[in-house]
Amino acid sequence: MATTLSREDLLRAYRMMKTIREFEERVHTEFATGDIPGFVHLYAGEEASATGVCMHLNENDKIASTHRGHGHCIAKGVDVDGMMAEIYGKATGTCRGKGGSMHIADLDMGMMGANGIVGGGPPLICGAGLAAKFKKKNGVAIAFVGDGGSNQGTTLESLNLATVWQLPCIFVMENNGYAESTASKWSVACKDIVERAHGFGMPGVMVDGHDFFAVYEAAGEAVQRARGGAGPTLIECKLNRYFGHFEGDAQTYRGVDEVKKLRETKDCINGFAKRVTGAGMLSRAELDAIDKQVLAQIDSAVAKAKAAPKPAASELLTDVYMSY
Amino acid sequence: MSPLAPIEKPAVGIIANPASGRDVRRLVAKASVFHTAEKSNMVQRALTALASCGVRSAVMTRDLGGIAGGVLRALETHRALPSAPWPSVTFLDLPIEDSAIDSVRAVDRMLELGVALILVLGGDGTHRVIAGRCGSIPLVALSTGTNNAFPEIREATIAGLAAGLIATGAVSREAGTVRNKVLRVRMNGEERDLALVDVCASRDHWTGARAVWKPEDLTELFVTTARADAIGLSAIAGLTHPVERSAQQGVRLKLCPVGEGIMTVRAPIAPGLIAPVGIAEIGTMHPGEEHMLEKRRGVLALDGEREIEFGPESRLSVSLHLDGPLTVDIGRVMRLAVEQGLFAEQVRHRPAEYHEIYSTAPDQPTEETWQPH
Repeated sequence: MATTLSREDLLRAYRMMKTIREFEERVHTEFATGDIPGFVHLYAGEEASATGVCMHLNENDKIASTHRGHGHCIAKGVDVDGMMAEIYGKATGTCRGKGGSMHIADLDMGMMGANGIVGGGPPLICGAGLAAKFKKKNGVAIAFVGDGGSNQGTTLESLNLATVWQLPCIFVMENNGYAESTASKWSVACKDIVERAHGFGMPGVMVDGHDFFAVYEAAGEAVQRARGGAGPTLIECKLNRYFGHFEGDAQTYRGVDEVKKLRETKDCINGFAKRVTGAGMLSRAELDAIDKQVLAQIDSAVAKAKAAPKPAASELLTDVYMSY
Repeated sequence: MSPLAPIEKPAVGIIANPASGRDVRRLVAKASVFHTAEKSNMVQRALTALASCGVRSAVMTRDLGGIAGGVLRALETHRALPSAPWPSVTFLDLPIEDSAIDSVRAVDRMLELGVALILVLGGDGTHRVIAGRCGSIPLVALSTGTNNAFPEIREATIAGLAAGLIATGAVSREAGTVRNKVLRVRMNGEERDLALVDVCASRDHWTGARAVWKPEDLTELFVTTARADAIGLSAIAGLTHPVERSAQQGVRLKLCPVGEGIMTVRAPIAPGLIAPVGIAEIGTMHPGEEHMLEKRRGVLALDGEREIEFGPESRLSVSLHLDGPLTVDIGRVMRLAVEQGLFAEQVRHRPAEYHEIYSTAPDQPTEETWQPH
């Protein structure tokens, strides 16, 4: 059958992408005020990837993220209020304010964590994939990896292991062209990361990561394959980030007006809106209503986060170390 | 962009698409994987062949995929080693956007520079884009994968030889090239795009991952050429109503659910994917006739890739034309070159037995057979 997306699916996809965008734009603004501790790495521009993949997932499925993890968290259903509070380091945060941006994790939602270790996610999903295989509940495990992360030994070992054990794993390589400030054309030996899939005995697909429909369809096939027991898949999403590697990054490695041009020509949300309204599937008024609701949701999340208490000094060592 | 510097003639253009061979068919149909390194190697093998025919210069696209980078490194190595000479290679100083516009700009620049022909490494999509711009300059169409209906899977050395023979005039362009058919798509009264092999309407709403591999979604198919040994959507026609590349007509089919209509054909619509397809109606396409598509919501695939999303209000039509791109017929060029004795240099008189054996009785060798070395 055709890749069918109902009106409800399309509305959900738009809301998800818009929530990620507004969340990131707002964190960008708020970070400049100095109220947010630590580092933040923003996902704006890449929303179609997280959304196109996570729309296929259910509560049994696991994802592992990167340092640029807010978008993956939102797409997997992590509470936005909790995320914002976590970024502010508040006691009401997803991890009680002790993780911050790079360690937001919500195991109940199948979100195994943003990850400060580049290439840290792939080994985690091999474990989650193995667990899913033994539990026989058709669960899948997905790691989002950047182009920098694609070069890490942990990633390459995981690709190998996933094939050797025929794990229900999907490696989504979000190639935004830069590993921190190093262009991937300088640092990735085979320019299309997808070429590596063949060497590890799994199919690899390259899609336009700005195109929700392209990501959604490719991810759907990969998820179906994983659930069916046919093993892992690598998907390379070619996309761009709108902000620097981290907030405060002067981005001297980027071209003049590069981001301005990207925002004008490679905006996954505008492209989505144009297509669904052009096709008469959704109206602009419906999208505007979502925009308004999302804005209010983010305003509320920021207000709640600012008002929330910090973790008490007595909580300093709780939740930090795991005892087995 | 730098101003155009003159290049030594005869010159050949080379366009290698770094993005071909990466789509979802690798996942859903076990389509072949075509590495960047092999594309770069293909260009290098072609350069050797081009030089052996007397081509003085090549003009090549740059890319972020590593093809041009591989050639650049090889050029340095090649100069340092006692190898057969290569043409001088100029890399086009054009912006790289990693999209079809790169190929369009490259063709325009190559035409300005006066190349004799363009060697294209890519899939049906790459060739479709280039065909829309190349005018009367012939293409040497090389497939970088098993999934293509228009470009051929050929050894690049042989393609390079054929390209060199045409570029230098050793084999005449008239004798060694063929004019291809083309399908033009009009949308709401305006020409929208073209296809070299097939145009197919699908019930899908979105272009999605581009490739077409779900036969149950297909509603109408138009083909310029339908070979019985083709891979892809044109095989649906090729296995029921074949049409040669040289024929002055095409085929159109209305498709339907399996078990309905006039027949069901099991067709290899993608590598590793043989699927039953119901056919409701088969008709001939004559040049210039405009065939209107059924009004519905859907997607139009051009040469196997979903390109155009349309709604029930859209007026879409497809027509066949005989003024498509010129392509070098590699096999024919090589045969003509052999007939002209372009490859063999006679170093001594042939013995009489040679003529007897190779000219009159090739099926009856004798013990005295003379073996040429």
